[in-house]
Amino acid sequence: MKNSFDPQNPRVRKAHQKHALNNSPMLALTLVVFIALLFGGIALLYFQNSISWTLIGFSSLPAMLIFWIKNDLVDIPIGKTDNFTDLISEDLLLLITKNSSPADLTQILPKTRSGAFIMARFNLPTPFFNEIANFLPATPEPIYETARHICETTNSEEITGAVLAVAIISSVPNYELLLNQFQLTITDLHQGIIWFNYLNGMVKNSKKPIHSGGIARDFAFGYTPTLQRFAINLSERYSGAHTKLQMADHTKIIGQIIETFTHGGRQNVALIGAYGSGRSTIVNALAETLMNADSKIPHSLKYRQIYSLDAPSLISAAKDSSELEYLMVNIFNEIYSAKNIILCLDNAHLFFEEGPGSVDIANLLTPILEAGHIRMILIMDDQKFLEISSKNSTLANSLNKIMVSPSNREETLKILMDQVPLLEYQKNVIYTYRALTEAYRLSEQYIHDVEMPGKAKLLLESATSYAEGNLVTALSVQTAVEKSYGVKVRVASDESDRNKLLNLEALIHERMIDQTEAVSAVANALRRAGAGVKHAGRPIGTFLFLGPTGVGKTELAKSLSEVYFNGEDNIIRLDMNEFVSAADVSRLIKDGAEDGLSLTAQVSKQPFSVILLDEIEKAHPSVLTTLLQVLDEGILRDEKNREISFRDSIIIATSNAGANEIREKIASGAKIDDFKEEFIENLISSNEFKPEFLNRFDEICLFKPLSKEDLVSVLDLIIASTNRTLEPQKISVVVDPAAKQILIDKGYDPKMGARPMRRIVQKTVENIVAAAILSGHATPGSTLHITPNEIKIS
Amino acid sequence: MIAHLLCYNILMAITEMFFWWYSRGWRIFITKAHAFLSSVTDFFSMDSLIRTLFKPYRQISAASASSTASLDIKFHMFIDRLVSRFIGFISRLVLLLAGTFIIIIGSVFSLIFIILWPLIPLLPIVGIILSTTGLTI
Repeated sequence: MKNSFDPQNPRVRKAHQKHALNNSPMLALTLVVFIALLFGGIALLYFQNSISWTLIGFSSLPAMLIFWIKNDLVDIPIGKTDNFTDLISEDLLLLITKNSSPADLTQILPKTRSGAFIMARFNLPTPFFNEIANFLPATPEPIYETARHICETTNSEEITGAVLAVAIISSVPNYELLLNQFQLTITDLHQGIIWFNYLNGMVKNSKKPIHSGGIARDFAFGYTPTLQRFAINLSERYSGAHTKLQMADHTKIIGQIIETFTHGGRQNVALIGAYGSGRSTIVNALAETLMNADSKIPHSLKYRQIYSLDAPSLISAAKDSSELEYLMVNIFNEIYSAKNIILCLDNAHLFFEEGPGSVDIANLLTPILEAGHIRMILIMDDQKFLEISSKNSTLANSLNKIMVSPSNREETLKILMDQVPLLEYQKNVIYTYRALTEAYRLSEQYIHDVEMPGKAKLLLESATSYAEGNLVTALSVQTAVEKSYGVKVRVASDESDRNKLLNLEALIHERMIDQTEAVSAVANALRRAGAGVKHAGRPIGTFLFLGPTGVGKTELAKSLSEVYFNGEDNIIRLDMNEFVSAADVSRLIKDGAEDGLSLTAQVSKQPFSVILLDEIEKAHPSVLTTLLQVLDEGILRDEKNREISFRDSIIIATSNAGANEIREKIASGAKIDDFKEEFIENLISSNEFKPEFLNRFDEICLFKPLSKEDLVSVLDLIIASTNRTLEPQKISVVVDPAAKQILIDKGYDPKMGARPMRRIVQKTVENIVAAAILSGHATPGSTLHITPNEIKIS
Repeated sequence: MIAHLLCYNILMAITEMFFWWYSRGWRIFITKAHAFLSSVTDFFSMDSLIRTLFKPYRQISAASASSTASLDIKFHMFIDRLVSRFIGFISRLVLLLAGTFIIIIGSVFSLIFIILWPLIPLLPIVGIILSTTGLTI
């Protein structure tokens, strides 16, 4: 086993021969020489010149040369020994020399197809390799040895540029730290090699000859003009490409379908699974299998064609249900006579229910399905199947059900790797590996109506709009999610976002006074989310604010919404005193089409928001039980069983429960921390809240009553708000300190907190300003000074 | 030095080409000939044609008569299917003959080439000999 490059190896010579000879100019020249010699010889033969034999004889040499080039100098198979030179790919054979240093190897990578593939897919540019060249071993042998191991680990047939690229990275001391900077692991890079090998294999497979039955294949089968009008022939798309199913389950399902169609009994299959789980892929793969002359399937299924019925065009073509039934009967007659058709009903529920775009022809279909004379595949989602089963058990019993499960992470990535080249071709972009993994992660979190792998693919498609240049990266995928779902998924990276998070407390306190414990609790939760360290399976934060009225519980939620959730409008407020009966649970989870103000409807429209559950203690226990899952897992299912994510929301519940106790304790000089635990125990023992409900909150914050000193700041905030209202008229108000004291004396009510203060300001300050404006005393640019006397008079 | 290296490489290439011609090249030609013949077989659907030689063409025939149908109707349907089967037989036979012809021609040429394969590299020498004899036609 030699770990050095041997330039005398026959493979090296062959690679150079291929490079020199197997190209269009050389082949054209050889062909011209062949034709010239052959036809020149024949011409001379006509003129009775004996030299003609020499020319004809020599024409065999270029002919041999062409045959040799096209058949031997095509692939250079790996050698028989396990020497390094016998294991490397042909492009590396041309580029590596005996004197190649590790630094030279880094320069070779972009010149190989597979090396460039790894660089592009993992966003590892040439400067990255130039930089790591300084940390590589002095000689290339250790890199070659590592490449050999990687080749074995990834089941690669040969050491390609991709393997060499990963070997080079792996040869850098502490390469894991290096890869961390790119949010990659060595396993990811190994996956990249496997991805390249797979695509390379696909390209090689596409060159194999196609055997699909020939010109007389369908002579024994009938014509189907009506069917052709209303259905798409899935088998017609067969181009010889052998779709390799990436899920063992799917291959098994195809086996089950073939088994069902081969043996007697009901000749139908119902593929039951969620949208996006790969049901159509299975049908398409089955169509290919049936059309491939080389596939090992029973004769009775060979060259059977799958037609997918286009329900909307069929329904729109029929004036009424009787005409539709007539058309369907026609189609079934054609299928029965043709003898080579398998009918596929995609979204089969459209044929079993009345509604816009659907029609109930169960009476016609059920006997056909039961009789089993026509082969059919029905595609349905599990929910629809349950609905149909409950309505029509005979129909449900006549179906051979096969469940299609969504793919797991590994399978999804394999499927994406398989399908991404087509997307790249259509959209003229290149996807990085991180874009694929990020599409899986984020689609799992944010897309709920579609299953894997469909949802990850959908996300990848929408990410093309946010490609950087023509590269779709993890950032493109994150941006697509942020734009489509109005959430923040990126770690706060720009300066203003970071500053906002770091100074959240100060920003909130611009709007509200004191309550530092609660303010820092919510600020910390947001900082955790902004830094990407929050639990992915829970809301950003869940808080229960307890305290007397008018102390800033609701105000904190509003401030938070304005400061961080793009404005006060992004607050979803539910007054829980409207949910006092068990029947109100349905109002929480009502379908958005029926009630746009239900909790689930509002959150699905606006997932990145503050959810304020005001006066939670007034809600019915059933409502609180419903909310348990939201607090725990950040998920609530609406009445249509759709999963609604609350994982980008901050949930704040407020309550006045125990307000008197808080007031009394604070009045007696106690601090919140001294009695908080006892207070919560009392809430449980007095049955105000159940322990399992309180336990679901990240934090329970007690709001203390506002003191007279606090009210000075509250008053300043209220006057500042009045000034903001007057800003368009260019009038400002200044309240004298003595006048302020009168306002505070009048507005202070320990039971009501800051609420009376706003009313007092309204009745005094705002009335004085209104009168001044109407009487012409306050003109644009003027400042109104409000004195104690004016306050007393008003 | 460069000219020497070039000459060496050309000589090596020619040697390897001849060596390949008498070893793997021959096998590859046989494989290619076989692939060509199986492609022709697939193109003309030879397998299907033989299996369905007497089946009605495109299933164009009346449906089977029920057991209670009158003798007259049964007879008409029988004739109908017979005509369809006849048309099917003729069209299949034409294709079958065309396919068989091409396969035979292909096989003969392939066989000739396979037999003459070792002689092809000798053609220049044969040509020189014939030229020196002054043979013309």
